[in-house]
Amino acid sequence: MPEYRLFFLGDDAVAVQPNNRALRHPLARALRGSGEWIDTVPGKEVVAVHFDPRALRPTEVMRKLEDWLSSFSAEAFEPGKAVDLHLDCSAANAPDLQALADQNGLTPQEMLERVTRSDLVVDMLGFTPGFAYVEGVNPALKAERLAVPRQRVAAGSVGLVSGQLGLYGLSGPGGWPIIGRLTEALFDPARAEPFLLQEGQVVRLHLVDV
Amino acid sequence: MSFKVLKPGVQATLQAAPRSGTRHLGVPASGPADELSMALANRLVGNPSSACALELSFGLVSLEADADCAIAFTGAPVEIELAGDKVPMHRTLYIHGGETVSVGAAEAGARLYMAVSGGFLADDFLGSASTCLPAMVGGLKGRALRAGDTLSTGESEPSADVETPANMHQAFTHAFALRCVDGPDAELISGWESGQDYAATRRADRTGIEIAGSWPPLSNAGLKPSAPVFPGAVQLTPSGNAFILLPDSQTTGGYPHVLQVTRADRHLLGQIRPGDRVHFLKRTPEEAADDLRRKTAYFRDWLPDLVL
Repeated sequence: MPEYRLFFLGDDAVAVQPNNRALRHPLARALRGSGEWIDTVPGKEVVAVHFDPRALRPTEVMRKLEDWLSSFSAEAFEPGKAVDLHLDCSAANAPDLQALADQNGLTPQEMLERVTRSDLVVDMLGFTPGFAYVEGVNPALKAERLAVPRQRVAAGSVGLVSGQLGLYGLSGPGGWPIIGRLTEALFDPARAEPFLLQEGQVVRLHLVDV
Repeated sequence: MSFKVLKPGVQATLQAAPRSGTRHLGVPASGPADELSMALANRLVGNPSSACALELSFGLVSLEADADCAIAFTGAPVEIELAGDKVPMHRTLYIHGGETVSVGAAEAGARLYMAVSGGFLADDFLGSASTCLPAMVGGLKGRALRAGDTLSTGESEPSADVETPANMHQAFTHAFALRCVDGPDAELISGWESGQDYAATRRADRTGIEIAGSWPPLSNAGLKPSAPVFPGAVQLTPSGNAFILLPDSQTTGGYPHVLQVTRADRHLLGQIRPGDRVHFLKRTPEEAADDLRRKTAYFRDWLPDLVL
């Protein structure tokens, strides 16, 4: 039986936390589809709705969401087709690969094979334009955030932290250890479809020869 | 008509209404850092509150007009010269083809706004013309102005000569009182008392402002699973300082989100400059909704379409 915890993220946003995190995405799609909210944003555990407190008071928003959730049922969703991405792991593009491999008692090649053979799925986009959180990495692989974040990580860089990949859509600051760089552009505002990935998509990672 | 950029300033961007419905793609709202000042500028040239205007960080911009039009400046106080003469802020100004308008340096406040009758023309991205610097979209090619750029304007009717009513001017000082409510991780600072003295550091741009001072030490300084965040979020970072998010900020984050600057006072964030003092005043979400209604009502006669 789905249960939801509701809490404020401030004076104009409320988080809905389902007891089953798989419900975040059908919940977010339905909330977005209702057209009632300025923004509907999933996180790793919650879905947030952003509202205008002049139109609806915070307590009214809580009541409205409770009512809405009592009749919500998750609809089936067909994710976009699997996407093939190509990973360049040459030294300049994979500055943390050797250290992560050492930490796991593997060679860089063995480490990469365990990543690419994992069942990878886009959990969500977020953070910055085109950034994708990809889940499903073999949980036996140990990887922690960098103690000191980098000032600049190149667009397309792939970070690895405890069971998930972070795909950087833009160049910018970043705290994930980097194991390679994609040859595809995750975000290109000039393209008819600026975002390469969608939530729920299966990702197949291929190593490119360099 | 159009303006030629003679001096581009520190970071001048075109801003309009914020983007909505795009945060789940990682695309922030952008829009003016100080919505109120931008609305006041647009009002003086007969535009809607969120018509596309120029946001100047600290001033220092010079533009040359190629035809006659009405312009206006609001926000952080600066000296302005139009065709060599000093002219006031908060008043409709008429610039003629071939004339130059030059903006001095702000000494209090961080941002000022220049509106032009008809608004500036800008690139649309996902439904908004606002420049988003991190993604390089919207505005003028997604970036800040450079010398030699041309800014085109929309069609306009002649503007009436008006002034911002005196009771609608913001006071610009080096101290800010920001009303805020609990963030979702407020229990991490349960002993914290509002009213203490904090200061903005030099780390300040359109993504956010770092605030130093005595924040409670976090027993578990680790990150939480990435969660949605919105402008106004006050996060405690591993540096021991807080970071308040502004319009170009990230859309999800893993740092503890301990406070949220309320919507009624979020426009003030755009005016905080390095070294300024900051106080936080605690509210409940219901009180914050009342504050927002009161503030919007205060400006309603002059700015009927203001959205804070």
